[in-house]
Amino acid sequence: MRPQLLLACIAWLATSTLAVFEDDAFNVDYHHQLVGLPQQHTSFFHPVRPGSGAVLYTLSDKLVLGAISPKDGSVLWRQLLKAKSNTTNGFLRAGEGQDIVVSAVDGQVAGWSTSNGRMAWSHDIGEYSVRDLEILELRDGKETDGGKDAVVLFGDKHPIVRRLDGNTGQVKWEFVDSSGDLPYQISASATTIYLVSLHTTILNGLKIKCASLNPVTGHKDDQYTLSSDSDLSSAESIIFVGANSASPIIAWTDKSYSVLKINIIGNKNVASFNINPHGAESVERVVLHAPHHINSVSHFLVHYQTAKHHWAEVYHIDLRSHTVSKAYDLPRLAGKGTFSTSTSDANVYFTRITEDEVIVVSSASHGVLGRWPIARHENSGTFERPSHVHAVSEVAAKSGTLTSVRSAVLSSTGDWQLILNGESQWRRLEALAGTTTAAWAELHEEAALAHELELEGHSNVLAAYTHRVRRHLQDLQKLPEWLQNLPKRLLGSFGGSRTAVKQDALEHDSFGFHKLVIVATEHGRLIALDAGSSGKVVWNIQAFNLAPGTKWQDAELHITEGLLTVQDPVSGETASFETLTGKRALHSATLGSRSAASTKISYDLAGEELRGVFADRSNASPVWDFKPSEGERIQAVTARPTEDPVASIGKVLGDRRVLYKYLNPNLVLVTTVSDSARSLSVYLLDSVSGSVLYSTTHSDVDVTRTISSTVSENWLAYSFTLDSSSVSTSQGHELVVAELFESAIPNDRGPLEASSNYSSMQPSHAAGDGAKPYVVAQSYHIPEEISRMAVTQTRQGITSRQLLVVLAESNSIVGIPRVFIDPRRPIGRDPTATEAAEGLIRYSPVIEFDPKWYLTHKREVIGIKKIITSPALLESTSLVFAYGLDVFGTRISPSFSFDVLGKDFNKLQMLATVAALGIGTFVVAPLVRRKHINARWQL
Amino acid sequence: MRSLKRLLPLLLAAPLTLAARLTIALPPASLPSYEPSALPASTHATLLGPPDGKGSTYRSAPLSRANTFVFEGLGQGSYLLQVQARDFVFAPLRVDVAAGEGGKETVDVFQTFRGHEWSNRGVRLGGSSGGAEGGDADTVVVDVRPAAGREFYQQRGGFELLSFFKNPMILMALFSLVLIVGMPYMMENMDPETRAEFDEMQKKSPLASPDNPAARLQNFDLAGWMAGKTSGQSQGQSEIQGPAQGQAAVEGGSADAMRCIIDLGLYGR
Repeated sequence: MRPQLLLACIAWLATSTLAVFEDDAFNVDYHHQLVGLPQQHTSFFHPVRPGSGAVLYTLSDKLVLGAISPKDGSVLWRQLLKAKSNTTNGFLRAGEGQDIVVSAVDGQVAGWSTSNGRMAWSHDIGEYSVRDLEILELRDGKETDGGKDAVVLFGDKHPIVRRLDGNTGQVKWEFVDSSGDLPYQISASATTIYLVSLHTTILNGLKIKCASLNPVTGHKDDQYTLSSDSDLSSAESIIFVGANSASPIIAWTDKSYSVLKINIIGNKNVASFNINPHGAESVERVVLHAPHHINSVSHFLVHYQTAKHHWAEVYHIDLRSHTVSKAYDLPRLAGKGTFSTSTSDANVYFTRITEDEVIVVSSASHGVLGRWPIARHENSGTFERPSHVHAVSEVAAKSGTLTSVRSAVLSSTGDWQLILNGESQWRRLEALAGTTTAAWAELHEEAALAHELELEGHSNVLAAYTHRVRRHLQDLQKLPEWLQNLPKRLLGSFGGSRTAVKQDALEHDSFGFHKLVIVATEHGRLIALDAGSSGKVVWNIQAFNLAPGTKWQDAELHITEGLLTVQDPVSGETASFETLTGKRALHSATLGSRSAASTKISYDLAGEELRGVFADRSNASPVWDFKPSEGERIQAVTARPTEDPVASIGKVLGDRRVLYKYLNPNLVLVTTVSDSARSLSVYLLDSVSGSVLYSTTHSDVDVTRTISSTVSENWLAYSFTLDSSSVSTSQGHELVVAELFESAIPNDRGPLEASSNYSSMQPSHAAGDGAKPYVVAQSYHIPEEISRMAVTQTRQGITSRQLLVVLAESNSIVGIPRVFIDPRRPIGRDPTATEAAEGLIRYSPVIEFDPKWYLTHKREVIGIKKIITSPALLESTSLVFAYGLDVFGTRISPSFSFDVLGKDFNKLQMLATVAALGIGTFVVAPLVRRKHINARWQL
Repeated sequence: MRSLKRLLPLLLAAPLTLAARLTIALPPASLPSYEPSALPASTHATLLGPPDGKGSTYRSAPLSRANTFVFEGLGQGSYLLQVQARDFVFAPLRVDVAAGEGGKETVDVFQTFRGHEWSNRGVRLGGSSGGAEGGDADTVVVDVRPAAGREFYQQRGGFELLSFFKNPMILMALFSLVLIVGMPYMMENMDPETRAEFDEMQKKSPLASPDNPAARLQNFDLAGWMAGKTSGQSQGQSEIQGPAQGQAAVEGGSADAMRCIIDLGLYGR
């Protein structure tokens, strides 16, 4: 009974809260549904079910398994696969004619339904991580209608091969190779499974070992070793191990890319071909492209890439004599190119995508079947000429003649686009998935105006006057355009949203919704999005060229007066960019000058303790040290935002008395955990003096789960998961909110009352507890774990704040109104009349997240790591931007949009009323006048 | 032999994965627009339970093609199970895995309540210890139905004729309109006696009398007062001024009415 009552109570409360309006949803907010950078070996076109149209499947570097519609590039379904280690490598395979795609990440092998992304089966191989995964395409005549079996290779020193049932994921057999060789790959032909492992010789060369396994029993039939140790020194030199083709091959080169060696698996012969570098440039990359279909002809293509040119050679395999021969060359072209293989029936087609052309050739002959120039795409905000990184293609061929080709191409800008016969169909901004930091940037206009005004103020009167006249004349040039747009704008504002003028240009709007969000990605890119027009990309640049394998993790974006200043992750120097255009600024602002001016003491995490030092480094010795108790380690440090305006210094109670807020700009919340005691401690510090203002400890906390925290105004919030080993208490997740006041007594300012100045070092003359704030705290059970917290920001701080929380499990962002987490909610009784007047509601131990609080409503945002907020020009509105994997942004008004007419305000109705009234007045006025005159004269 | 040693952990792990297997099934429910097979791929169930090694067990099972969530190899203990779906709310569940007879483990699923003590468990939804519905511990299947749907959106209060007429201001305005329009006809249709009575009454009423401060203020003759005239003589003066005054009154009135309507429009929101 009680839960129902509670639900009813919450439902009643919910009616007074605000939510996303149905017509605002999907209009005001924007969301980039991302998957991350696709990888060539895990991306392919595959029909949803046999005979139907193909869908693009990929397993990205973020381990997102996604199905992308080739028509418009929308996400059909996504699964975020969780890895135990921080690997970015996974495997994705689909059997021919199957309605299941099989993924393998770390120790998890799973089959997923192609149509809706539901799990078909899963298999856990434990601690090992999967080295290779293949689908068995057996031609033994015993094929059933069900799923085709998968073969996985794993193990670190002893290769283990398992055959998994394609319908259930159960192990059919297992083969363990106890030779101590490094497992490398598996390869399956129509009749045999080959296990390729690497044997390290004494001289550090690698010998390739091939064992053939019986697919039915899993027993080893045969084994041979290739003496490759003279030119093979590392596994990276193996460029290809073919799979699922009529005759799988192993191909490798030496370190200097001078010779290409090819072995047809199952045969000890090694064919060797000299690589002709075609000039002085050295070959940088050799890629082998072979079809993955068991029925297709056994032809393959080798792609050579130098710094400025690329070319390819096509080879044929004679199945009877087991020989490899070169068939023809594809000419050397300038720039970078990509090749992809596609099959249609038994025919194999190679699609070559250069910087400005798509060329399709058949594997049988070098005649060009189709050639399309790539249309220069519309400006996507990049200045650089993007090169193609890799592509996957699908050709449509009818009775040998090519009709169309579509390729999903990843370009160096991180864009993933589909090119159909040379024309770009859609473009996905997958570079945004690697966002590590983001910052808000004002549009420069008002800063420019302020600068001009300042100029006028400082020059002499005559110069200032001419300057002003010139400025006004310049402004006047915009008048015709403004007048031209005026009727359109008027119509737009009266006709509702349908005819509203879309602001394409980056211009300042009167509400301040147009702001730039500049994000830094882990690949060294800087991208600016316009928060006012659905997160459109304004510019997108490769700011820094990182060394391969490194990531730009701890970027700090400093934005001052239209300039973005960042530290180069490679050289360590600072670089500046114009926020509006992304162009590199000639002069670079110096870093840290602003922060040093405003703060005297900065703090930093030094090992296991927090240390406060002079910000200008004038004195190296620390001002203060904060060291958590024995056995505790600092889990997170959260500071109050630097710009956090507070409108009222007190809280007015129902009886008109005032509780004074403890407002300290230097609040820092430190959360520490103790692994042995399984406890969480929270310390609130003053970052200037380092003194502990408030501390508390929670026992029975699961310290392995996420603990998130935030500080704003005069309150703080943190959440944690209860340790479920202690069964007597409750289980689940908790949210704690604490509010700081100067004194427990209303109308009393505590020891600060008489002082006009305030010092962090000496809070008051009274020693002891008097200097500390009075803290009220309440805790609530919440239905889900909070992975990240943030607080809304408005221009003046008049609007009540909302606690924004990221729920990783339900892929959403929720804004909790302050009323529900006010720590002064009366416990165990209904609020008194004065408390009710203050807006306090009775305490309930559970906060259920009302669906109306979901900022993301029906959208599902995955992998959100952080939220940033920024005030708009309207006091009621706060801009929200969330990033991590997906990118989501919206604007919210925590206390309703009190300063702007909503969409429901019917302007036409108002106009009609006024008009009707006017007409009515004009009609009635003569009548009334006549009547009055008559009344007077008829007496 | 060495390979056997490598295999040993695998072999040991094998029986564990068979220990307790819990399947949560989503049968159709009588909730509008709820169709288990139409749930998005993100639908999943999470299990929070006793520690295994360093931290708590925290597992997630995606929705399978058969509309089920499968958890395998559950260790003994008490777990909190929650089903996460975008459009539907599911009540939290408690899963107890305990040692049963013959080395087998029993799995029981109960309702649980957030914010209550963990020992305070609700209705048993199924499991193996009862025997009847669950079967053996390897295949415990429990049906779960959503508690409610999620309604994310707030509806805008659009224009409604009924709510417009429910507004007291509009009602008052309408009433006075009826009075103004209908009064002359009523007066005309009145029989002479009642009419005389009514006129008498109106004369007597303080509103109509010249002593009424409001009336006096309205008919105040400034010029006359300046000239030191008495109130009795001011009558004629005002008669001449009548029409002009009337016009002013009408204009003022229209502005007022306009303001009033604008006010009404704002109140209506």
